Amino acid sequence: MLEDGRISSRQATFLMSTMIIATVVLFVPSITAKYARQDAWLSIIAAILAGLLIARLATTLGLRYPDKSIFEYPEDILGKWPGKLVGLLYVCWFLHLNAEVIREYGSFMVTAFMPETPIIVFILVVVSIAAYATINGLEVFSRANEIFLPLIVGSVIILFILALGQMNFHMLLPMFDAEPEDVLKGAIAPEGWFGEVAVITVLIPYLNKPREAHRVGALAVLTCGGLLLLDAVGIIALFGPNLVEAWLITTLNGARMIIVASFIERLEAVIMIIWVTGGLIKITVFYWAAALGSAQLLKLKDYRPLVVPIGTVLVSLSTLLHPNISDLLQFLTSVWPPYAIIVFEAGLPLLLLTVSLARGIRGARV
Amino acid sequence: MNRKIILLMVLILALLFPEGCWSRREINELAIVLGAGLDRTADNKVQLTLQLARPSAFSGGGENAGGEAPRQNNSWVVTGTGDTVLDAENNLALKVSRHIYWSHSIIIVYGESMARGGVRDVSNFFMRNPQPRETSWIFVTEGEAKNVLESHSELEKTSAQSIAFLARNQPGYSIMLEDFQQNLTSPGTNPAAPRIQLLKLGQPQGVGMEERLRHEEVGITGTGIFKDDKLVGWLDMSETRGLLWLHGKVKEGAIIVPSPGQPDKKISLAISRDKIKVNPEYDGETVKFNVNIEFDMELLEQQSNEDLTQPEKIKEIERLAAEEVLEQCNSALAKAQGDYGTDIFGFGEAFHRKYKTEWKKVKGHWNDEFQKARVDIAVEPHLRLTGMLHRRASLKR
Amino acid sequence: MRRVTRHIKGGCRNKAKIPPGSSNKDSSAELDESLLLTENLTTNLFRIKQFLIDCSDIVYREFLFAQREDIRLVMIYTDGLADKSQLSDQIMRALSLELPLSAPQADITRSGAYHLIKERGVCVHQIKETNRLDEIIEAILSGDTVLLVEGNSTAIINGARGWESRSISEPDTEVIVRGPREAFVENLSTNTAMLRRKLKSHLLKIEALRLGRISKTDVVIIYIKGVANEKLVTEVKRRLRKIDLDGILGSGYIEELIEDNPWSPFPQINHTERPDRMAARLLEGRVGIMVDGTPFALTVPNVFIEYLQAPEDYYERFYFATGVRIIRFAALVLSLTAPSLYVAIITFHQEMLPTPLLLSIAAQRESVPYPAIFEVLFMELSFEILREAGIRLPRQIGQAVSIVGALIIGEAAVRAGLVASATVIVVAITGISSFVFFYSASIAIRMLRFPIMMASAALGLFGLISSIIVLVLHLCSLRSFGIPYLSPVAPISVGDMKDVVLRVPWWAMYNRPRLIGWKNPRRLGPEQKPDFPEVKNRGGAGDA
Repeated sequence: MLEDGRISSRQATFLMSTMIIATVVLFVPSITAKYARQDAWLSIIAAILAGLLIARLATTLGLRYPDKSIFEYPEDILGKWPGKLVGLLYVCWFLHLNAEVIREYGSFMVTAFMPETPIIVFILVVVSIAAYATINGLEVFSRANEIFLPLIVGSVIILFILALGQMNFHMLLPMFDAEPEDVLKGAIAPEGWFGEVAVITVLIPYLNKPREAHRVGALAVLTCGGLLLLDAVGIIALFGPNLVEAWLITTLNGARMIIVASFIERLEAVIMIIWVTGGLIKITVFYWAAALGSAQLLKLKDYRPLVVPIGTVLVSLSTLLHPNISDLLQFLTSVWPPYAIIVFEAGLPLLLLTVSLARGIRGARV
Repeated sequence: MNRKIILLMVLILALLFPEGCWSRREINELAIVLGAGLDRTADNKVQLTLQLARPSAFSGGGENAGGEAPRQNNSWVVTGTGDTVLDAENNLALKVSRHIYWSHSIIIVYGESMARGGVRDVSNFFMRNPQPRETSWIFVTEGEAKNVLESHSELEKTSAQSIAFLARNQPGYSIMLEDFQQNLTSPGTNPAAPRIQLLKLGQPQGVGMEERLRHEEVGITGTGIFKDDKLVGWLDMSETRGLLWLHGKVKEGAIIVPSPGQPDKKISLAISRDKIKVNPEYDGETVKFNVNIEFDMELLEQQSNEDLTQPEKIKEIERLAAEEVLEQCNSALAKAQGDYGTDIFGFGEAFHRKYKTEWKKVKGHWNDEFQKARVDIAVEPHLRLTGMLHRRASLKR
Repeated sequence: MRRVTRHIKGGCRNKAKIPPGSSNKDSSAELDESLLLTENLTTNLFRIKQFLIDCSDIVYREFLFAQREDIRLVMIYTDGLADKSQLSDQIMRALSLELPLSAPQADITRSGAYHLIKERGVCVHQIKETNRLDEIIEAILSGDTVLLVEGNSTAIINGARGWESRSISEPDTEVIVRGPREAFVENLSTNTAMLRRKLKSHLLKIEALRLGRISKTDVVIIYIKGVANEKLVTEVKRRLRKIDLDGILGSGYIEELIEDNPWSPFPQINHTERPDRMAARLLEGRVGIMVDGTPFALTVPNVFIEYLQAPEDYYERFYFATGVRIIRFAALVLSLTAPSLYVAIITFHQEMLPTPLLLSIAAQRESVPYPAIFEVLFMELSFEILREAGIRLPRQIGQAVSIVGALIIGEAAVRAGLVASATVIVVAITGISSFVFFYSASIAIRMLRFPIMMASAALGLFGLISSIIVLVLHLCSLRSFGIPYLSPVAPISVGDMKDVVLRVPWWAMYNRPRLIGWKNPRRLGPEQKPDFPEVKNRGGAGDA
């Protein structure tokens, strides 16, 4: 085995949750509100349901080969070369996804906090830390995440409570105002994020109890869905749908609105903590998945020698992908969700599952 | 391997450190903006006035505390003009030795010239730039915003803080940048902002205060109402009360009504806990709003001699209070709806909540629709408390 | 090893190549003739003297056997290590004077004399026989007294040790208000005795080991059989046996030689000078290591949370203990991040301060010529120097140093406009916080503060958070004897949370820490929550 670490179901759930929450909380409310307006919560519920489906699909597929990852079993299902190709596609997807996340990470820091600092600084720092975490292995960053996730969830909830005073729940009225197709359109973006739960196909072989993978996936989607719901409702109650849609990083502005007893003000720092820690875990997970996948495809004994080269790729890719933040946002809003959902989160797993079922092959039982 | 990565990270950090600190701003390199004023000049440029803190005047405590240190100016007011707000800021920065730092700006004052011409163009800067706060208070002033910022406060350290605290206590209609902006974006409502003016205050007492005889402080004198983003008129304080009632935002304040038995004497009622319900009705042509205002009162002052604790007297007081409130509301409505035709009450949003499909037809020209609308106001006051006294304490028996 | 005997002129102080006793015993099968005693006393004595040449603290006392005057006896011991009164009373007086009175036998053989001496003559509790020269040398140097009898190739080793040692006193580093007030001392046997007094069970095992090529330090491994995991015990023994060092002068030597992650700044082996604390840890299933000559006993495995637990937590009421622990956690966070947070906020994120506070800090800093980071670094460094001086200086002067330090740093620097008074507050809070939790962990935290400060000075809060993340990742990657360093927080172990921030009452602490004491998890009997209905019903009758 390339990775010696084994993680518990709880750790896996935590890992997936952090991974999704980190980015979803920041950008999604404004993207969703653009279509569904004050009914954004409906879109999010729709996205949660779809996310559950994707999680189920991924775990069903993964559990047919509980000791192999998505980079390995396509070979069993589709034959050597087509299988390798699918594995390669996934490695590339993880790389691309990660580069996007890293770019978001940098853009966020630059836009909201330190406009004078070049974005490459943040990218370099975060990629080095992620490399350090990746080298330490799955077990270590899962463990670290057990400290980070409660912090993140706690911060979101505390922010919500503190902002309650400024909220006006009339803003959520009238309900069901948006057209059904708008609600669905609004659901696509969060769905793209929830769909990242598909990364569980890489994690399954490293679970203590692979049988619990179904629960892991579902719980992760539900946790993130719940938090996102809280976030979106709070944000719309704060600003009304018109402003939410105008803002780039709505949650950040939400935190800036908090004034408690004219003493606690400008809690942007809390958002930064959520984003920096959560984003880092997210980047690490995909980094690790990409490194592991490449090593498995190349039949190496250890993925660690690949960490630094992959890091270099990530840094350059993330700087080269988008010329400016509008391009990044445009991509994230309209190109990314369909591309990710149709191809990698649902399409390929569905194809693999169908073929595997049709050919009646499955891996070792655990 | 592990060690190599750590080494790499240390190297990166080491590279960052001397090279870094891009966003670093020492506090003593900052010109801390406390308040901003925007005027439109005759040649249609933006004139930005900033009130900057002078930190050296703020040294609280320490050895100077209680001493007879000469009073220094707490703030410095600078003005710059330009085509945009940022342009004006840049021109202004030519005169300021430090970085202009917006994050602590708590008020934005629109001069009348700027407000009449529309504030949408300039308010964008405050939303887009990460530094200014969404929680800044918005004001309009008759005349130039510059004059307001140039005043100074006797009670607070700077006039900007004094103005902001005025807004925070909400004696009048006060609004934050974020709500103002929300009203601008919503088709169902129009913004309003408190009017501030320089007022001549009482004469300061004591030695060496003679030169302050002409001291002027800023005070809230009413509300400026907007149609879309343009200032169209003013409400005086009584009409402002009406606006507050119709917004359900009367946090405190009093109603003065004649005493039921002795109409030449007055009684004062303090208000608490007001609640408003706006119920729109639409028959396809005309819009009608049934507004129900409910609030609690406490009897806090009585000039008359009569015993007010009897139930029928209380009923009478409530009726008088209701009349008073109704009058305030109607005067505000008359101005906004009748004179200027602008919905500053958010009735459009109430309409939207009830009539989702019909709203789509009217939302493009809501202000016209509102001008035609009928508003029925019902006021329901409850006198709950009578203060610490049961009867008058000063009567000879 | 054997060739060393030919270099006997090496001298006692620097005889790096004299055969180490313990490690040599294994090769007894191929013992050299020259390492055995002969029947000739003079030869034996000569050879021993050859070994111990230039060792002026060795005493050779020759005297005659009372029964047969032609049998010479030699008593050899190290001056200061042997109990002289016992020697003169129980050995010399007994053999040269009193023996004939009790057992008059005229024609005694030489070997008979030996037996008589061994069985009846020597009135010492611990005796041992040997015919090996190296054992004799080691015994002498360890404080035992060796008795050679003419015509016998076997020596009697008398365990009449007795040297000056510190008496048991109160612990200096782990002071508590309520609880036992004794601390370990330098003497190993006193220490094991103290422990045995606390745990009077045959299950408490104390296994001895001798480490150090020259120092030949006694080391014991202590554990409770049936509670400690055998694999752990074996692993501890394996790691200890691997040690090959010339001298072990303190438990810190051993600590660094058996750690899992030698490069980490965090100590992965805990130490204590309190027998009660040591006993508590043994009861949790940990293994202890005690070294002769140092009052600090080691315990493994060690988790980070231990540094935030004080022995007093378990003696005081649990509400109080929980409250104090929360304070300790706060102190940990403060001492690690307070100066960095300060630097980050006042140089990058001024918006986070309330306006009046910002204005007042701005006013203070108006006259400060340096960037905030240098100001804080300067203050932190002076604080560290003061602290170090306070520890190293004789106690009487320590007072003076702290007064001067407080005056200079607190007052003069502010007045001179070198630092802002807010900085002084921050540094003082940081400094005080770092004293709150366990000393050896606080050293690591103190040192790590500086790189974190640098990171926040370069990148603000982002730098601060990033470095904390790296720190957490590092802590998560650490293990101490296989146990994750941050357990039970990461990986979360819900049951063990009873003793992390909370300290639940004793009657609710059913289990030993899961990862450490899993072998025998239950430590509490059933129904231990106090509930005495008969007393309640009697209603205060007990007062009479």
